Amino acid sequence: MSKKSRSKLWFLVHSWLALPIWFFVLIVCVTGTLAVVSQEIVWLANPDMRASKPSDDATLLSYDQVIAAIKQAQPQTQVQSIIRPDESHFALEVGVTYPDGRPDTVYVNPYSGVVQGSAPTFNFQAFTRALHGWWLVPFTNGYSWGWYLVSFLGLPLLASLVTGLVVYKRFWKGFFRPTLRIRHGARIFWGDFHRLSGIWSIWFIAVISVTGTWFLIQALLGDNQISISSEPVIPVVARENVPLSADGLPPAQVNLDRAIEIARQRIPGLEASFISLPGNAYSHLEIGGRGWYPLMFQTATINPYNGDVAASRMLSDRTTLEFVTESMRPLHTGDFGGLWIKLIWFFFGLILSMMVLSGLLIWTKRTALATANAFKRSQKPTRGARLAQALQPSVHRESEGSL
Amino acid sequence: MNSSNTASSPSRLSLFWHKWRFHLNVLLLLIPLGFMPKYLSEAALFRGDAGLGEREVGEVQVGPWSLRLAEFRNEAPRVQGPAGPMKHFNAALCQSCIGQVKATYLRIGKPRSLRAAGVIFFGSPYRMGALLPVPPKTQPDAELWITLEGWDGSMHQASIPMSQASPSTVAWLKNQGAKP
Repeated sequence: MSKKSRSKLWFLVHSWLALPIWFFVLIVCVTGTLAVVSQEIVWLANPDMRASKPSDDATLLSYDQVIAAIKQAQPQTQVQSIIRPDESHFALEVGVTYPDGRPDTVYVNPYSGVVQGSAPTFNFQAFTRALHGWWLVPFTNGYSWGWYLVSFLGLPLLASLVTGLVVYKRFWKGFFRPTLRIRHGARIFWGDFHRLSGIWSIWFIAVISVTGTWFLIQALLGDNQISISSEPVIPVVARENVPLSADGLPPAQVNLDRAIEIARQRIPGLEASFISLPGNAYSHLEIGGRGWYPLMFQTATINPYNGDVAASRMLSDRTTLEFVTESMRPLHTGDFGGLWIKLIWFFFGLILSMMVLSGLLIWTKRTALATANAFKRSQKPTRGARLAQALQPSVHRESEGSL
Repeated sequence: MNSSNTASSPSRLSLFWHKWRFHLNVLLLLIPLGFMPKYLSEAALFRGDAGLGEREVGEVQVGPWSLRLAEFRNEAPRVQGPAGPMKHFNAALCQSCIGQVKATYLRIGKPRSLRAAGVIFFGSPYRMGALLPVPPKTQPDAELWITLEGWDGSMHQASIPMSQASPSTVAWLKNQGAKP
């Protein structure tokens, strides 16, 4: 095969990867981009979610103080879990249950302990994630087929990146001589845009496609009951370790601040960012947070009666394979280093969405031209003109409409 | 357009196909749109809008204590991975027994001892959940046993017929029996 026809073939492959499913890819990109900053969007819309300081010298409450404050405001409410979000401008998210049996997430001010409000009925974060992650197809037994549908896109995305770089000869020159011609018509502009944003998002497309493909592999492993986890199953608190009480009332439990101290002794540098209280009399208290490696959580599982550490899951407990696979999700979502990382992910998410759109525009414009030319060359004038007429308006209309 | 022309130029169908073939994937959007009501009703179920579950079984007296039992979903057991069919029950302890009850268990058939009381409930006493394994060979007239364990070491039991606990499970079991 000649060099020219080979590059033509690569070009065809490149355009066919997304073209027949461009709208699906576009919506997955757009919803993914929204999902990255969904927490921030809710924060903007809902003042209850904000952690405003009552005074400049206010200090953060400890977990025990937070629970005490909730107990005082709502004596009947039961607390199950507390999450301290990564960014300090977010209020604590506390999982509670009310006496009428309703579970809820409430926003608690980390400085004053005031219960600022409940999470809205429509969970925007969960919705964008469900739409992006599995196209809203419900999970009934194992992974939903929507999950497969979306995660499969990792493969054409990866192939688009590779073929794109093959087709764009000497793409690295584009870094030094960025070209974006605005005054040469739409076709030239979108071509330049596609190439320019493409080379600057090589790293991002690689990250998203590889991690997206991992989600596909994860589902395949999960649905075939193949586990790569080295995490041991932690037995429940032994019957003899749960104290009996003569008065028939629950025995005292280790307070949370003491439990965090114990967890810190086991896991140096642990930032306790979430606490899950025991689910029943025989289950443990769980404390977790990030360590030096921001992409993974470390947890300590603590006996709530005597404070013994039943198990801990540290960075060093992970196998090399787990280090890679457990890093996939945060790398995909950009949720591992605060607001700035999320904004970078959001920006490149927008760029990637625009690349789908610009790819489509280039194709419609080029094909419109190519079709017209082909007819001019090979067909009889009368018939060619008629056909070109029949084909062209549609192609032009839609491409202009999208501009 | 006269008839001689239509014969030589592409048919309307192929023109339509040519024009729209790469936009047909817009129809994929019908999938999430179609699942939207299901998604929202599931979210409402988990939020507790329907109470403890889709079907309230009622108050069950267990010795000095009592609990409210509900089927989380009003449907047959679901197969969840290699563990086989599971039925999700929710329960709420009576207000006065919350401080006294240490653990709540659920089992099909009478437990021989506290150590074999069945699956344990997790969660707040206002809304606890348990996943009960339901072997397909279970007799449709089986009984569901509830065991409550007190902090003082006491134990109380009660049972209700499966047909009361979950008619849809009984219907499913009868179907299972029909299969060879």
